[in-house]
Amino acid sequence: SQPLAGQQAAELQSKVVPSKQILHSDNMEMEPETMETKSVTDYFSKLHMGSLVYSCTSKRKNK
Amino acid sequence: RKEASCLELALEGERLCKAGDCRAGVSFFEAAVQVGTEDLRTLSAIYSQLGNAYFYLHEYAKALEYHHHDLTLARTIGDLLGEAKASGNLGNTLKVLGNFEEAIVCCQRHLDISRELNDKVGEARALYNLGNVYHSKGKNVASAGTHDPGDLPDDVKNALQKAANYYEENLTIVTELGDRAAQGRAFGNLGNTHYLLGNFRSAVLAHEQRLLIAKEFGDRSAERRAYSNLGNAYIFLGEFETASEYYKRTLQLARQLKDRAVEAQACYSLGNTYTLLQDYEKAIDYHLKHLVIAQELNDKIGEGRACWSLGNAYTALGNHDQAIHFAERHLEISREVGDRSGELTARLNLSDLQMVLGLSYSTNNSMMSDSHVVENSFNGTRPRAGRRHSMENMELMKLTPEKVQNWN
Repeated sequence: SQPLAGQQAAELQSKVVPSKQILHSDNMEMEPETMETKSVTDYFSKLHMGSLVYSCTSKRKNK
Repeated sequence: RKEASCLELALEGERLCKAGDCRAGVSFFEAAVQVGTEDLRTLSAIYSQLGNAYFYLHEYAKALEYHHHDLTLARTIGDLLGEAKASGNLGNTLKVLGNFEEAIVCCQRHLDISRELNDKVGEARALYNLGNVYHSKGKNVASAGTHDPGDLPDDVKNALQKAANYYEENLTIVTELGDRAAQGRAFGNLGNTHYLLGNFRSAVLAHEQRLLIAKEFGDRSAERRAYSNLGNAYIFLGEFETASEYYKRTLQLARQLKDRAVEAQACYSLGNTYTLLQDYEKAIDYHLKHLVIAQELNDKIGEGRACWSLGNAYTALGNHDQAIHFAERHLEISREVGDRSGELTARLNLSDLQMVLGLSYSTNNSMMSDSHVVENSFNGTRPRAGRRHSMENMELMKLTPEKVQNWN
């Protein structure tokens, strides 16, 4: 039964490994999302910058 | 006094989020909301940042809630730019939650307003987001079946083609604007879209551009991503040697960046690549490295896959003792994690090995009649357990001879 075992081993090899199947990792690496940002300081600076700049310059003038 | 207190709390929240501590930032923003403010623009900014903080913390339901508040508020006060931003953020969040149709509506709104305001930067960002939504949509539908890249149903193909078009449109604008970082992101995701569409040569070209830009910025994470994606594309081009070189670079960088999960992933990819090259000794070497890390990370699914791969590689070398050892371990783990298809595969492997060795294994033969299930519903029965997110995306890939000329 030696040749038979050999034959079976050969079959096994072809069946298990080059079975045209592998566990393939389909792990694509995506780029990060971009989120839109808002900031209280953006708005704060727009809203208050005028008066802030005014108060700074007037302070400087006072010196 | 109340206004000052709310603003102070919000400023501290901003500072903490910028420093990378979103968890603490959230507390301050929520305290700011508790205190309240009459200033709706300030409140809008707080909601927006709360939404983003929760997004980065992967708490998407909360992110959705706050971006929705922000959108409502921006519309109420007639802040068009604010509405565009809130729509974009809401779109990204809906995408992650798998609500693609609503995500598209939101991202399209972001795009329309940006064009109305002649805001080129906003327009480009909206196009990138739209590309991402269509990419996710395509990938999501594709993963419901067992498809190779390039072998896709029409709706999947349409979504992916749209994604590619949006990335191309984005690239035109960001190239005009000279925004290299944005180009890098678009090339990376465009490459992945081409990969799924089966345009492997185009995928390689895009990822090569991504790699170039990553190197310009010294961005090693992006560089590593590019190597890994290049490796994947070369596998499907049948150029396994080249793929192995890219996976080795991935591994090198993963080790430098001390990312064990990515290191394991790279080892696994290398193991598979050397299997394709029929260099089973090297395949075993890498699969063992993968196994060790999977065990270290307590990633049972990864461990099971490692055992499956090792069983196959040892069988190919004719080392049946080791093959049986790993097939048994694969069976054990599959049972443990409730992976029925893995269990059936392991039983089949054991039964094959038993036949060769003439050993008497107490395999439940009634299970064998179910063996076709392995083929047909592998993904359907894929277990959700396991801690390594990177390992949950493993698919049983059927490499057809047309794609893999070098086989045998």
